[in-house]
Amino acid sequence: MNARTQLFELSMEGRQVDEAVASIFHSVLFYRSLGKFKYKQEGSYSVGTVGYQDVDCDFIDFTYVCCSSVHLDQTLKREISGFSEALRSTDSPGSGQISLEFFQKKKNRWPFQPECIPWEVWTVRLELIKLATEHERQICREKVGDLLTDKILYITEVMNRHDYLPKMPNQAELDLIFDTSYPDIQPYLFKLSFTTSSPSSTTMGNTMKKLIKETLSI
Amino acid sequence: MSTLKLSMQDKKDLDKFTRFLALKAAQIIIQSRSGEKVSTKCKPYSSGTDWFNLAVHEVPEVLTETKKLLIGEIVNVTIPLCIEISLKTCDDELMVLEAWSLGILPEQSDPTMRVTYTIYNRMGILLKSLLSVSRVTPAYKLSRRQGPDSFIICYRIYLGEPQLHSLGDNYKHVRVGQLCTPVGTIHLSVSYRTKMTISPTHAGRDSIMLKSDHFHSDLSPRHARYQQSEETSKSLSDTIKVGAFVVNKPVTVNEEDFVIPDVPFSSLLTPRQTSPPPASAAETTSTKTASTIIAADSSNGNSERLTNDNTTSKCNSQNGSRRSSCSMTSANDDFIMKTPFAITNTNSDLGAFYRECQSAPQLQAFMEERTLAEQVGDLTKQLETFETNMRRYEDILSSLCQTENNN
Repeated sequence: MNARTQLFELSMEGRQVDEAVASIFHSVLFYRSLGKFKYKQEGSYSVGTVGYQDVDCDFIDFTYVCCSSVHLDQTLKREISGFSEALRSTDSPGSGQISLEFFQKKKNRWPFQPECIPWEVWTVRLELIKLATEHERQICREKVGDLLTDKILYITEVMNRHDYLPKMPNQAELDLIFDTSYPDIQPYLFKLSFTTSSPSSTTMGNTMKKLIKETLSI
Repeated sequence: MSTLKLSMQDKKDLDKFTRFLALKAAQIIIQSRSGEKVSTKCKPYSSGTDWFNLAVHEVPEVLTETKKLLIGEIVNVTIPLCIEISLKTCDDELMVLEAWSLGILPEQSDPTMRVTYTIYNRMGILLKSLLSVSRVTPAYKLSRRQGPDSFIICYRIYLGEPQLHSLGDNYKHVRVGQLCTPVGTIHLSVSYRTKMTISPTHAGRDSIMLKSDHFHSDLSPRHARYQQSEETSKSLSDTIKVGAFVVNKPVTVNEEDFVIPDVPFSSLLTPRQTSPPPASAAETTSTKTASTIIAADSSNGNSERLTNDNTTSKCNSQNGSRRSSCSMTSANDDFIMKTPFAITNTNSDLGAFYRECQSAPQLQAFMEERTLAEQVGDLTKQLETFETNMRRYEDILSSLCQTENNN
C-alpha cells in the first residue's frame, strides 16, 4: 500500500527551524493522538481524554495548539533539535528535510522483526536564509507566521477528508497500531527522520544505498 | 426520507451529540478569544463532562448562554448557531472581527453513517480543527493583546445567519470542517475581517483633530494651483481651477452625447487642441481616446468641464484621498471651460475678462496713499476694539473647544 505524503516547503532563519517544524508536527499529532484505551474486557474499552495547550513561538509570530503531553513534546523536541543542529551546523548545505511518518506494524515469523508499513508521511523541507538587519528579521517573523497559518489550514483540510486510518485493533494488537508507551496519550505509531543533504542530490546511487540499507534493517 | 430509516435511539443520540458539539464549539471559540493561553490536562479516564475525548474547559457563563439558545431543540435544521467576535475600543467603538457559524445542511445526508461510533469520533476531529483554526485567524493575535486601556474582545451568540456585511470589504471565509450525518451535513466555518482599520469618522470625541499635512506644501491644493499658474501657456482653458470641495468623480459619457445637432454653438464643444500651439496639440490627441464630462458644482454656474481620458484615470481612484485629488489638479490639467457664445480664440476680450476675474483684485488700501498718522491712528482704534471684544473671542474659542468635533 502506498502511504499518503504531504510536503511543505519553507525557507526561514536558522533559529526559527525548531518552532516551525514543531508547530506543523504537533498540529498533525494533535489529530493523530487519541485518549488512552483502557480495556475492561475483550471487546470493550474506554477512551481517555486528550488535553491541549496553546504554544506561543518566540521567533515567529505564531501560536499553535498541541496535545498537553510532556512526554510527546519531549520526543518531538529531541528529534527536531537533532535536525535543527545538523541543518544549522557549519558544514551543512543550508537545506534539508524532516519527516513525520505514521506506520503500522505487521507481525513476521519468529526470527524477523515486525514489518513497518507507513500509511502517512508529512515532510517539511527547509531552506535556511541569512538576514542582515533587525528589520528584515521582523518581516521574516511575520512572514513565516503567515506561511504556517496556511499550513495549519491545509492540515485541517486534510484531516477533514477522513482518509484511510488503520482499523481499530483488538487489545492484543494495540501495539501494532498505537504507541502505548505514553502514560497520558495514545498516538498512532510514528517516527521522525531527517536528512540535510540538498534535495537535488537524490541520485540513483543514493536511492540504491537507501534501498539496500532498508532491506538490511528488516 | 432518510431520517425515517434512523431508529429512535440513533436519532436521540445524534441530537444529543449535535447539541454537545454546539456547546463545546461555543466554549472553544469564546475561550480562544479570552486573551489567555488555554491549557487542559490529558485524562486516562474520561468523566461525564468530557465529550468527544477532548478536555474542554467549561466557562459557566458561556454554557448557560449557549444552553439558553439551544433549549429544547438542537441546532436548528435551517438556522445555524452563530458566534460573533468583535473588538470594542475604550471609546465604545465596536468592530466585528469574526463570525463563526455551525449549521446543518439537510440536503446532503448520509443514511449509511453509523451514528454512535463514527459520528462521535468525527465530531471530535471537527473540534480539534476548530481549536487549530481559532489560533490562526487575525482575531486571535488581537485578542491576546487586549486590555482595558486599549480594546477588549466581546462575543455574541445567536441563532441566525452570520452577518457578513459587518465584516467590511474583502472578508475571508475559512471552512473549519464538515461531517455527514443521517440528517444532513454539519458544517462549521468562520468568516473574518481582513481590513482592521477603524474609519477616521470614529476618532475620539474629546480630542481636536489636527491636520498634520497643513504645512506640507506639495499636498495642499493651493500649491497645486500655484504650480499651474506658473505655466507659460496662459490660454483660458489652462487656467481653469477646480474648486476645493468639488466632487471629482467623473461621469463617463459617450462621445455621441456631445453632439448636439444643428446647434449654432457646437464649436464650443470641439476638443481643446484647436486653440493651443499645434506642437502640443499633437501630443494631447494621441492620449485622447474618449471625452468625459464633469458636472460643474454650483459655484461655477452652468458651465461644464471637459476632460480627456488620462486625467480621468487619475481622479477615478476610489479612495478619494487628499493625495489623489491633488494629483488631479496638478498634473496634466486638461480642463476646458467653454464660455457660452464665445469663439475659441482665447485672446478675445472675453478671455481677458475671465483672466481678470480669476486673479484677485488689488486691495483698495494699496491704491490710495495714506499718511502715517492716519495709519497709526487707525491701528490704535483697532486695538481698542479688539480689547473690548476680547471676552467675546474667548467665549467663541471655549465654545469651539467644547462642541463635539465632527471632523
